[in-house]
Amino acid sequence: MLPAAAEPAAGDSWGMLACLCTVLWHLPAVPALNRTGDPGPGPSIQKTYDLTRYLEHQLRSLAGTYLNYLGPPFNEPDFNPPRLGAETLPRATVNLDVWQNLSDKLRLTQNYEAYSHLLCYLRGLNRQAATAELRRSLAHFCTSLQGLLGSIAGVMAALGYPLPQPLPGTEPTWSPDPAHSDFLQKMDDFWLLKELQTWLWRSAKDFNRLKKKMQPPAAAVTLRLEAHGF
Amino acid sequence: MALFAFFQTILLLVSLSLRTCQSEVLSEPLPLTPESLDVSINSAQRCLHLQWRVHSLAYHQELKMVFQIEISRINTSNVIWVDYYSTTVKWNQVLHWSWESELPLECATHFVRIRSRVDDARVPEPRFWSNWSSWKEVNEQNSLGHKASSVFPVDKLVEEGSNVTICYISRSHQNNVSCYLDGVRMHVEQLDPNVSAFHVNNVAFVRETGTNIFCEMDPKDDAGTVLFVSKVLEEPKDFSCETQDFKTLHCTWDPGSDTSLVRKQPYQSYTLFESFSGEKRLCEHKNWCDWQIAQDSQEMYNFTLVAENYLRKRSVNILFNLTHRVRPMTPKVFFKNISATNATMTWRVHSTGNHRTLLCQIELHGEGKVIQHNASIKVNGEYLLSELEPDTQYMARVHCGDANHFWKWSEWSGENFTTLEAAPSEAPDVWRDVKSELGNRTVTLFWKPLSKSHANGKIRFYNVIVENLDKPSELEPVPIPAPANHTKLALDQCSYRIHVTANNSVGTSPASVIVISGDPGNQVEEERVNVTADGFSLSWKPQSGDVTGYVVEWCDRPQDGSCDLQWENLGPNTTSTVISSDAFRPGVRYNFRIYGISTKRIAYLLEQKTGYSQELAPLVNPQVVMSNLTSHSFTLSWKDYPTETQRSFIRGYHVYLKPKEGQCHPGFEKAALSDNSVCCKYKIDKPEQKTFVVENLQPESIYEFFVTPFTSVGEGPLDAFTKVTTPDEHSHLLIRIILPTVFCVVLIMIVCYLNSQWMKEKCYPDIPDPYKSSVLSLIKSKENPHLTIMSVKDCIPDAIEVINKPEGSKIQFSGTRNSLTETEITKPAYLYLLPAEKNYSGPGPCICFENFTYNQAASNSGSCGHVPVPPTAPSQRGLLTSLENLLKALEKNYMNSQGEIPAGETTLNYVSQLASPMSGDKDSLPTDPPVPALCSEYKMQMAIPLGLASPPLSENSSVSSVTLLDQGDHHH
Repeated sequence: MLPAAAEPAAGDSWGMLACLCTVLWHLPAVPALNRTGDPGPGPSIQKTYDLTRYLEHQLRSLAGTYLNYLGPPFNEPDFNPPRLGAETLPRATVNLDVWQNLSDKLRLTQNYEAYSHLLCYLRGLNRQAATAELRRSLAHFCTSLQGLLGSIAGVMAALGYPLPQPLPGTEPTWSPDPAHSDFLQKMDDFWLLKELQTWLWRSAKDFNRLKKKMQPPAAAVTLRLEAHGF
Repeated sequence: MALFAFFQTILLLVSLSLRTCQSEVLSEPLPLTPESLDVSINSAQRCLHLQWRVHSLAYHQELKMVFQIEISRINTSNVIWVDYYSTTVKWNQVLHWSWESELPLECATHFVRIRSRVDDARVPEPRFWSNWSSWKEVNEQNSLGHKASSVFPVDKLVEEGSNVTICYISRSHQNNVSCYLDGVRMHVEQLDPNVSAFHVNNVAFVRETGTNIFCEMDPKDDAGTVLFVSKVLEEPKDFSCETQDFKTLHCTWDPGSDTSLVRKQPYQSYTLFESFSGEKRLCEHKNWCDWQIAQDSQEMYNFTLVAENYLRKRSVNILFNLTHRVRPMTPKVFFKNISATNATMTWRVHSTGNHRTLLCQIELHGEGKVIQHNASIKVNGEYLLSELEPDTQYMARVHCGDANHFWKWSEWSGENFTTLEAAPSEAPDVWRDVKSELGNRTVTLFWKPLSKSHANGKIRFYNVIVENLDKPSELEPVPIPAPANHTKLALDQCSYRIHVTANNSVGTSPASVIVISGDPGNQVEEERVNVTADGFSLSWKPQSGDVTGYVVEWCDRPQDGSCDLQWENLGPNTTSTVISSDAFRPGVRYNFRIYGISTKRIAYLLEQKTGYSQELAPLVNPQVVMSNLTSHSFTLSWKDYPTETQRSFIRGYHVYLKPKEGQCHPGFEKAALSDNSVCCKYKIDKPEQKTFVVENLQPESIYEFFVTPFTSVGEGPLDAFTKVTTPDEHSHLLIRIILPTVFCVVLIMIVCYLNSQWMKEKCYPDIPDPYKSSVLSLIKSKENPHLTIMSVKDCIPDAIEVINKPEGSKIQFSGTRNSLTETEITKPAYLYLLPAEKNYSGPGPCICFENFTYNQAASNSGSCGHVPVPPTAPSQRGLLTSLENLLKALEKNYMNSQGEIPAGETTLNYVSQLASPMSGDKDSLPTDPPVPALCSEYKMQMAIPLGLASPPLSENSSVSSVTLLDQGDHHH
């Protein structure tokens, strides 16, 4: 905080009032606070953040249903199988230092690429589901995930970052590997849901970080104007 | 034959001997050992396939042989299976044998060996086993591939109820192996350090994604597999085929259980095969299939339906003639010529080929009933539905079947229709309520809505025609729009005939006629009605003469004043009926009036009955008023208590009285109340008696009473008793004395007040004020300063009057009070008149004014003069001491009088004539020498001569006169 504001000298109350009036007078002129202009990426980051939280909640219900459909031990809370056949899944876990030092562009690109892949896999999962109710739930979740992908693309566009282009012929698919036993296939399904959940957690943190970073420094502007007042 | 057999044996022996010779020539033993043993594996089937040859046989030679096969697991010494295989072996023949393992072959290494023996009768005994072939190792463990561990079998598909053995293989040695089948831990048997296995008997279907088997061990090395348990494929049930159009056969069946498993087994397939045509069709649907009928008019069909999945195949067969499996198409229905009571139904059945005769069933649904008709048709059908109700909705439907070879009915086809309206067929049921007021009558006509079967349509209005029978006039119908069910008519005392008709859109009903007679009618006595489980049972005396019927009327809701008049018409031969209504409530009194209807349609009251559907105990007790209270009796009355509106018939009253003592008064009997208290009860049997006189009471006594009604179902609630106190026997005498006395006293007081001036002059005339005297002005005018009016302030007290009572013992003082009683009060009463000055030695010219207000006795004696005091009177000092003591005693008395001396026992009264308070005077009272106090506050009694006046010594010593008075006994 500005010292002048923190410790006003005696008899400065008129000065303070004048300062406040000046601030109020200049507020419409401050670009960061001018709502009539471009709002910037802030609202879309907030929406994306909200969407990740919503999807996180939605996935919790979907995963419960799907893992019950697979049966024990996949629906047991402490089941932690080795990640045998799920190497192709994008990993959400990353070293903390690396994550903190990610640039905005890279952070967003990783999110976009991860959800692009996960969405493809999830659609494959939907195709194989046996029950109509499960297919309906998966289709609903896929639609929501598509929305998240669009939202991330919107944030990237607002910040001027290009969308990553998939290499031709590298479209990820989630079809049963004939070499895979059915147990390994179920394990892959398990890991897909687990990785998706981890990604949603990470994305919530990513977008929270971006949100804070992109917030207009309104207080700083105000203080600068206060300095003018004095 | 015998000869032939002999030659054959000789030939065989010759042949063998020739071979023996040959072998001997080759120096080799007889080579019957199985050779070229080859073992192949079918992992999915858990089968070992063995094939071998016996090279040693001669060309075209056939020999019956037995092969012994041994199978070992894990190592050769662990033989798990020994089997014998007998067959006839030809030269250069490849022999085959299979063995199915219980354990998946991937789980362990197996070893196989084989040997043989000639088992041909042509070869004489003894026959020896050949040498064993070398062990053939069968190892499928390389299927582990790059994995550290695996569970076998992989993705095995079995049927429900199968037995399965599962094994868990790891590269490292296993410790603490745990295997779970769908979350349930299984008992695991360790086959070798790297292999564990467990058996599952009679596996059950759990879910379509398979039963998961998961194994883990220490060190952590998890693996799993899915066991797909399929439900057992069932034989299709209810398989049948039929045709509607001779173009397509529609075959249906019940498929039974779904045997599909996700990613493993699709839904079972169904295939239709017809043997006469040899055609086959894979069905797309799980429970039906269409078969195109060929144009060559094939009549007989032999269908086989085959259900198949990966594990099993089931089939069913039917053989039929096509013409016997005809189900007509759904008819199309129309209605025509719909009237109030008839309608014609027509229908058409499309192409069943060759104009076959059809049997049709027609169903008519309406008014909660179903009527069925049959008809035989070719293509078009028609049926007249008659005897229908007007203005009624019906539903008619039809279905048809082949009349010659009935197979099945077609689907129902139906339509709704509504018949037209007709004029109402019956007169409305009318009744009336007549109320007479001031020579006019208000007649309320009620009618019941016609039943649907009589209304024949929607009733639009009711026509009411009032006909004056005494003065014929033009009849004017008054329409009352439906759904009104009553109307009011104001009539005079003439007789009237009233016609009521109901009208719908088609016509008018017959009229209902009722006559309101000018005769007010007779009064009948009310009787009580019997109640049965069915309702109120009413009966009346049969009326002789021209009675066309009876009417019973009552109010359904008499309790809330709305009445809701109800009536019931009864025939002329009826003399009883049972009235019941859902509106009847327990505890409500219902009144029933029975009328006879004359041939002239005049109703006259025959009987009146009243009753309760169920009597209930009274809820309220009478509000009892107590009057005529004397010392020996009082009267109770509850005339306002309404017996008619109670919840049951009041049979009388109980008067409860709590006596002063244990005894009850005559007529009362002891009774226990519901709160277990005991009191006296008097029973009044007459419900109309609403007063009661309680007699034989004691004067000045408290009595408690309580009155409650009693009925057949109990008393009223137990309320609080009312208390009453009988007055004193002589109180009336006292009143006779006291009132006149009070009157007299008041009269005297008024007289005294009116004559107060006179009284004042006579009894206490005003004392002249010298300051206001006219003499004063005269003195002042002579300017003599030495002359003045004597001031009372200048008066020196000259005497203290002490009056005492002889009975000193009655004085309730303590402390200093004792000295007082000892020194002075014990003496006979006397009066001291003390000189006020030290040098006062004799009687002086002092005038004493006695205030009679304070001393009535003195006033009476008339003594107003100075009383001389002898010189031998007690010394002034002693007097002052006594005075001091006395003051102390008085102060104490004053102090204590508030609490210690009871009222009425006070024997010592102090009456001061001084205005000065006593507090503080005692302390400042001089003791020696005595100083005469000023007379400034003694304004009423004293006057002192000028010469004796001296300045006051102390203002505190203002106590100039102390008077002790005894009540009624004064001494001077």
